Amino acid sequence: MSDSSPAFDRNVRIAQWTLAGFAVVFVGGIVGWIMHLIRTAWRLKDVPSASIGISLVAIPVFLTLLGVIVSVFWGLLTDRSAR
Amino acid sequence: MSDAVVERDRALFVPLTQTGRGFYVTVAILGAMILWGAIAYWVQFGEGLGVTGLHQPVSWGFYVTNFVFFIGISHAGTLISAILRLSKAEWRRPITRMAEVITVMVIFIGAGQILIDLGRPDRLLNVIRFGRYQSPLLWDATSISAYLTASTFYLYLPLIPDIAILRDHLGKRRWLYAVLALGWTGTEHQHKVLNRAIAIMAVMVIPIAVSVHTVVSFVFSMTIQPAWHSSIFGPYFVVGAIFSGIAALIVAMAVIRRIYHLDGYLKPVHFRYLGYLLLVMTLLWFYMTFAEYLTGYYGNEPEEMKVFWSKFTGPFWPLFWAMVTFNFVIPLGLLVRLGHHAISKTVVASMFVVVGMWLERFNIIVPTLSNPRLPFPEGHYWPTWIEWGETAGSFGLFILFCVLFVKLFPIISIWEIQEGREVGLKEVEERLRTYLPDEGSHPAAHGREKVLA
Amino acid sequence: MALWGMVIDLDRCTGCQACVMACKAENNVPAVGPKESARGRTISWMHVLHEESEERTRFIPRPCLQCDDPPCIKVCPVYATYRNPEGIVAQIYARCIGCRFCMAACPYNAKYFNWRRYGTESPGRNPDVSVRPKGVVEKCTFCHHRLQKARERALAERRELRAGDYVTACAETCPTRAITFGDLSDEGSEVARLARSPRAFRLGEELGTRPKVFYLSETEGHRRV
Repeated sequence: MSDSSPAFDRNVRIAQWTLAGFAVVFVGGIVGWIMHLIRTAWRLKDVPSASIGISLVAIPVFLTLLGVIVSVFWGLLTDRSAR
Repeated sequence: MSDAVVERDRALFVPLTQTGRGFYVTVAILGAMILWGAIAYWVQFGEGLGVTGLHQPVSWGFYVTNFVFFIGISHAGTLISAILRLSKAEWRRPITRMAEVITVMVIFIGAGQILIDLGRPDRLLNVIRFGRYQSPLLWDATSISAYLTASTFYLYLPLIPDIAILRDHLGKRRWLYAVLALGWTGTEHQHKVLNRAIAIMAVMVIPIAVSVHTVVSFVFSMTIQPAWHSSIFGPYFVVGAIFSGIAALIVAMAVIRRIYHLDGYLKPVHFRYLGYLLLVMTLLWFYMTFAEYLTGYYGNEPEEMKVFWSKFTGPFWPLFWAMVTFNFVIPLGLLVRLGHHAISKTVVASMFVVVGMWLERFNIIVPTLSNPRLPFPEGHYWPTWIEWGETAGSFGLFILFCVLFVKLFPIISIWEIQEGREVGLKEVEERLRTYLPDEGSHPAAHGREKVLA
Repeated sequence: MALWGMVIDLDRCTGCQACVMACKAENNVPAVGPKESARGRTISWMHVLHEESEERTRFIPRPCLQCDDPPCIKVCPVYATYRNPEGIVAQIYARCIGCRFCMAACPYNAKYFNWRRYGTESPGRNPDVSVRPKGVVEKCTFCHHRLQKARERALAERRELRAGDYVTACAETCPTRAITFGDLSDEGSEVARLARSPRAFRLGEELGTRPKVFYLSETEGHRRV
């Protein structure tokens, strides 16, 4: 990356953070969706136990995923700005 | 492309830099398949599922079979790659990437089958708005989205250093590679971040993968239909999935090896080891199938037996016995002794297994639906050109995704091969040393000294 | 709360299909045409099964059995089918995504799919029943619209709903009076009395679905149907 212009670098950086944002919004959206399903089941009295039981497993899985994704994006992207 | 490091693995850059006529021919053929699928879907979207061969009582056919099959193939990858990574199997290096690519590409296709199968695809969002966790379909949706996210990320992570190599050396598509490389320069901190993330993902992806095919099987086993309502279905489907996944991986390896002359990277030993894995899975699959059918047969429950006989001697006998032959007899015969034909034998066995596993899914789904409990006439399902088209289109799209990936990214992990040369060799030697009795100290002698003293 | 149920006397059934035709007319059940019918896509909410064995031939009219523990509602991903408080298993056509999971789960094959756009708005349709679009699942609802009508009439006349106010089209039509319909929770009702008869049995009782459609048969020593 010796011959890259500052404008190129800046655009690349913007795209990278957008990518990171998209990943976070995507996984976060799934977690939000699961919680919406619990709420719906609760309001309709439609076997909320199933929703809660499954969410107890699913939500931590997605949160762990989110954690790994954030740590990678953060770890790699901020490392470059420090360089 | 002057760097000595790059020069050494020149063969791995060839797919990215050179595009021959074969590529365009392949894309054209795949495009034709996809076009067929697209036309079929267009017709089906307009007229309804009536254009398929589905009816009462066989309301699920090719699409659901394809769904289970494709999701099964997706176990190729991530699972194999994760297990091999965790067990520090050094021979994994040239094949993990390919396995992960298959997983990610095929899981999109698998999930897409549900959309094709819906009578009202325009209402797909109802699943998100009004989804109920009591339905196994929602378990699928959750599990598959976890798997999709995890395996995409798990493909991407080990790709980052390779993308950085491409960014610095390829000279083409710099914008794409610069963005995706996430500013990778190979610093110690970056390596630490990446390795930790890969390790976590490798552990995480295994239970997620197992859960995916377990809940896919639950779609069937949670009902009270004969030959579906079986407690063995979860593990049975997972075993079948890994089985078909390995087979698909072997076929893909052989194709890529042939086209891009990667004989130096994908050696007979890789096929041999995967062949052993395939052999184990063949035996496991047979064991599961045997257990499943013997239980049904011995119990002799009338509804169960209707389905049983329709598979063994009834209208489904050709498909059933073809399944047994393709999944067990042929692979067993070929894989027991590989001899000097490791590649050809494993590849032929794998091709049979891929077909056989598709038949297995079909044999689970359709015969049960064809034999209702009440005295209805038996259902006869025969797919129309619509279903054939959408199946061809799905395969075409899957292969096209893989072909495009090979054009854009290295299909064999460059940095991991380099790491194997630089770090792996030493590590293995050291590790091997720890397996052996410690040199210099002889515990037996020590013991004797103590006794003497 | 009422619990609507049905008793069908197989010893009286002649297999004349009057119930089937009455149901079709009442519920705008589409005629799919000979071509589709040959493909096995006939929609028949009330279907007369024909069981033939060496010792006998008999007919079993099969509406939706309105199970009290229905396997179909458990699997619906979008709440398009559910059991309402009065025990009728309802189907929401506007919600259904057409995944056909309920069809695969129903042990009685009581659910039907609109493989094409069969139903059309045309004169002669029953205005009380919606015409189903393509791509959704439909089934017998115990002529639920009749219950709504009966209830409104009772309300207008300022009285309680009486036995006999609400009867399904099939029960009303049956020439041999083989079909009895009513409130199972009302101990004194005809339908509850018949359901307790020693001749009574239910289809697939061993499946634990607890259907609210009972069958009567003198020879029902062999439960197997």
